[in-house]
Amino acid sequence: MWSYRSKLDNDLPRWREAGWLTAEGEASIRKDVASHGRSLELAPALAIIGAVLIGFAAMSFIAANWDEMSRLARLALIFASLGTAYGIAGILFERGHPAFAHAAILAGVALFGAGIMLIAQIFHIDGHPPDAVLTWALGALGAGVVLGSNPALALAMLLMGLWSGWEMVESGVVHWPFLLGWGAVTAAFLWRWWVPGLHFAAVVLSIWIICLGYLLFDGHGHGVVVGVGLLIGAAGLALPSLGERWSAFSSPAVAYGMTIAFAGLFAVQFVEENVPLFGLILLAIAALTLVLAGIGFGLRTSSSAALWLGYGGFSLEVLALYFKTVGTLLGSSLFFLATGFIVIVLAAVAYRLHARMEAQP
Amino acid sequence: MTSERRNLWLGIAVVVAVQIGVLGWMVWDRVHLLSSGREIVLEVVPVDPRSLFRGDYVILNYDISRVETPLGKKRLHRGSLIFTTLQKTKDGKWKLTAAGPERPESVGPDQVVLKGRVRFASRVARRGSDVATVNYGIESFFIPEGTGRELEKLVGQKKLAALIAVDESGNAALKGLIVDGERVYEEPLF
Repeated sequence: MWSYRSKLDNDLPRWREAGWLTAEGEASIRKDVASHGRSLELAPALAIIGAVLIGFAAMSFIAANWDEMSRLARLALIFASLGTAYGIAGILFERGHPAFAHAAILAGVALFGAGIMLIAQIFHIDGHPPDAVLTWALGALGAGVVLGSNPALALAMLLMGLWSGWEMVESGVVHWPFLLGWGAVTAAFLWRWWVPGLHFAAVVLSIWIICLGYLLFDGHGHGVVVGVGLLIGAAGLALPSLGERWSAFSSPAVAYGMTIAFAGLFAVQFVEENVPLFGLILLAIAALTLVLAGIGFGLRTSSSAALWLGYGGFSLEVLALYFKTVGTLLGSSLFFLATGFIVIVLAAVAYRLHARMEAQP
Repeated sequence: MTSERRNLWLGIAVVVAVQIGVLGWMVWDRVHLLSSGREIVLEVVPVDPRSLFRGDYVILNYDISRVETPLGKKRLHRGSLIFTTLQKTKDGKWKLTAAGPERPESVGPDQVVLKGRVRFASRVARRGSDVATVNYGIESFFIPEGTGRELEKLVGQKKLAALIAVDESGNAALKGLIVDGERVYEEPLF
């Protein structure tokens, strides 16, 4: 929002001087931006941080296994503070401080998690910790949906990721139930039409898909990751045909899909062992084509995120290739020569394609 | 009260009731298991007596923590469920008789089934069996901060055993510790 305003500050006087805009028009635009602008404010951000800190306080209080208090008193304390947190949220909503109210809800959800840990500790429940994380995630999801709280839903998504990650580390196999949990929280994000939450959901899902490569086919499933990433990217390109509401998701979906595909290609090249040199060269060309396509896409759609992801991917790829080929058949100077050559060929192809598109009526 | 206000407080009441309900159910489930579960005594295998009581919880290891199962259709892997059948012997000890990924259909009156989760599993081809390290949820015993040394002195060179409560579905809970046949630490319900 801030960058949009500063861009308008530059553009509006220029447009007025060019005669495209009257002084009244400029004033109206500025007024509209000021009234619709949802700039980030310090106080709600601090309130959220405060809620997170209260959650940590509750958890470390439990970790100390404080013996001055009876079990029953400890349980009563956690129940009372849980109720109090939500009660404070209600009062803050009524007084017109929704941002602080959401922080109080977040504190309530954190205390619910602390309660699960407390009970596990005092009753020596040493079963399967991911189950406790799932219970916590469902509590956060319920609170987020019933009370319409985006921060609680964000915590639910984080916990779903933690749950699945823990299951996969424990078992070493793909944890498919994650998709159900992820779907439930994402449905809540969609229902509330909360765009930052949808981005968060996309990031969590991307990480999960990239992990598939390390778990499927005894750890050699990176090809699947590349395929899924490319499919997501293609779906992103097709999204605008579904209607205007969805076209805003096109460019992020392409960026996420390309990032997933790149992560898969990267693993095939540098995590897999015994990749033959010829195969490595072909894969490297594919990876460079992908990142350059990403950069091209970022430039065409003015998506700075896609652009920076592309630059980041390019640097990673080139660095990794450098370290892999140093001291091998391919000398490092030969390597840079080859990479430079490939990039120039790709640039020429891009130029030809662009010229052909321009030539079309 | 406007309807918006009523909905807000109704929502808060529902969230608080459900969350406290879930926590309360966890407590009830455990208390029920401890108070009505069948009691068995398992000998604790000493790991390293000096490190047993360091810190704020004790790690307990049992004979049944390592089991061998004949090769079956289902291969054991990390995280999979395993059912261990124990038999009460004449001297009152509980000994492992069978283990496998399926719950036994029926058990005798002197037998009890424990449900565990595989931590590590490996296939030993020459013996035709899977060997697994199993967690039953009775391996750690939290003790109040700073009381580890006292308990350590108390145990010394004596034999340590654990009092376990087992419910019908095979869930197990640590109920207390037994030193030389004497209950030294019994878990209060609350």
